[in-house]
Amino acid sequence: MASRQRYDFLLYGLFVAAILLAPLMLDEFWLNRIAKYLVFGMLGVAVALSWGYAGILNLGQGLFFGAGAYMLAMSLKLASPTSLQQGSDTPVPDFMLWNAEPGALTQLCCINKGSFIWLPFQSQWFGVAMGIVLPVVIATITGLIVFRNRISGVFVSIITLALVLLVRLLVIDAQPLTNGFNGLTDLAWLTIGAFQSDPYSRATYYLVAIALSLVLVGARLLVSTRAGLILQATRDDETRARYLGLDVPSYQIFFFVVSAAICGFAGMLYVMVSEFASPTFMDLSFSITMVVWAAVGGRSSILGACVGAILINMIEAKVSETKALVEVWKAVVGLIFVLVVLYLPRGLGGFAHDLLDRWRAPATEAASDEGLVAESRDALAERG
Amino acid sequence: MAATALTIDGLEVSFGSVKAVNNVTMTIAEGELRVLLGANGAGKTTLMDLISGRTHSTSGHIHLYDTEITNWQEHRIARAGIGRKFQIPSVFRELTVRQNFEVASCRNPSVFANLGFGFSRHALARIEEVLAIVDLRDKADVTAAYLSHGQTQWLELGLLMLQDPKVILLDEPTAGMTAAETKKTANIINSMRGKHTLLVVEHDMAFVREIAERITVLHLGEVLAEGDIASIETNEAVRRAYLGSRSIS
Ligand SMILES: Nc1ncnc2c1ncn2[C@@H]1O[C@H](COP(=O)(O)OP(=O)(O)OP(=O)(O)O)[C@@H](O)[C@H]1O
Ligand SMILES: [Mg+2]
Repeated sequence: MASRQRYDFLLYGLFVAAILLAPLMLDEFWLNRIAKYLVFGMLGVAVALSWGYAGILNLGQGLFFGAGAYMLAMSLKLASPTSLQQGSDTPVPDFMLWNAEPGALTQLCCINKGSFIWLPFQSQWFGVAMGIVLPVVIATITGLIVFRNRISGVFVSIITLALVLLVRLLVIDAQPLTNGFNGLTDLAWLTIGAFQSDPYSRATYYLVAIALSLVLVGARLLVSTRAGLILQATRDDETRARYLGLDVPSYQIFFFVVSAAICGFAGMLYVMVSEFASPTFMDLSFSITMVVWAAVGGRSSILGACVGAILINMIEAKVSETKALVEVWKAVVGLIFVLVVLYLPRGLGGFAHDLLDRWRAPATEAASDEGLVAESRDALAERG
Repeated sequence: MAATALTIDGLEVSFGSVKAVNNVTMTIAEGELRVLLGANGAGKTTLMDLISGRTHSTSGHIHLYDTEITNWQEHRIARAGIGRKFQIPSVFRELTVRQNFEVASCRNPSVFANLGFGFSRHALARIEEVLAIVDLRDKADVTAAYLSHGQTQWLELGLLMLQDPKVILLDEPTAGMTAAETKKTANIINSMRGKHTLLVVEHDMAFVREIAERITVLHLGEVLAEGDIASIETNEAVRRAYLGSRSIS
């Protein structure tokens, strides 16, 4: 067991070193692309936490990603030059002006009925804080309702799926406040002291890479706490855990919320590297894509799910440079997904683990397998 | 005279028109090992469901020592001091044997209290002890799903020992076991004796003779008889109801 952990941390170390050294070999264009994929890797971490470790297949992770993205984008929108140059004391997003009723006051407070909720977003730090707070609040409320009522399995998936679609509709519908389908574009850069989140800069890449490293290692440490172990126990057998006196819902809610917070954080980083927020973040297909990444990479391995997300996107980017391959690639990903689900339920990460185990201890493994077989044979004989 | 660990008073529950448990009253003294006998469908599992909070009773009371626990939530009853082994063994299948035991030795149920790493030296020592008692030492790092049926049952018994509740309910702990395994289970249960108050459902009369002091017989949801093994074996009503024409052998 202990040596397994050492291996794990070695692999994590290698991964962190790789993403921190990547800028040495990449141009700005690719650096920006990889930064996006690292954000997706963070989503893989979130999916592995809730699906792999808690057994909760959340099909609405996009909701938390979108919430994080929109919160930061609102602040960055107000800080953009176009918003500042509308000739009023307060910044006003351009799309609000385009849609304003004739004679409406060109002030953020009252240009339309709901625009006042943008007021606090004039502070960049409010947006940053809300990027975590909002997903956490939504996840806590959802988690309380779902898990306290002992809803489980596929029903959780359906509820989260319905939720993300509902919010997506609301965001599109609230066009005067959110710019509807078009989302929030023309954003300023996030400014922290001397740092500006120029999406094509090395500094921004490092921000994302370090953020991912911290989240990755943090999540790995979290699942090796006692609480992480108990969480896996509740995944295996909720009833058993309950009869040992554990308050199962509180574990499910806690990790559901952590996973949501990671998604929200990823959403903010994504806004920095892509300079927009859009309702497509809350498309069903995006949430499902995240699950595919994690399944292929290995949902029971945090690093596996993370690497899965990054690799699939890298290959996809390479492939999509050739037009003819784009459609084929989708089919290939679909096929890989099906094969992995059928034959490698623990994904490529789990497969690698198994190989590693077998390679490290071929002798003992074989022996214990044989012992088990012999024992059950004896048992059968006696029973018969 | 020892204190009363478990008091069941006029307990009832019905499913539709069936009264699965009907006006059951019994008391179990601290440290006692009580065997619950009864034909299939007599209501033994349902009685355990009621005690452990899985099913809510329609009337009657359950006390654990002086605390009334009637119809509490399962995890609160468990924390109050009642542990339970299920008829179909229930363990954490994707965790190793040792991890199973670690989960069971988490004293504090709250998620925030468990955000730390590792276990106290005392807890680890206790885990080793239990591994030895249930004879799973050489399987400690095996995933529970790969254990044999008997080993899975012992693993579940081990979970209960580590949970260390005052009262333990065991539902058919030897179901599906070979004679050798049954013997081993009897030893394990005998080793729990005295440290816990036990209520055991069992069909296997050889096993019952091995462990029983006092026996309660349930029939159609009601208590039919109660007494030591000799008096139950010679009880006419029990013979007629539970054993049919077959005599206890
Ligand atoms: N949830 C339920 N809904 C409806 N009827 C139930 C339910 N649980 C138990 N019963 C009924 O209650 C009666 C008692 O069942 P119980 O499982 O307690 O018997 P038992 O003594 O444990 O039997 P066995 O020896 O087969 O385990 C049976 O007639 C059963 O069909
Ligand atoms: Mg039963």
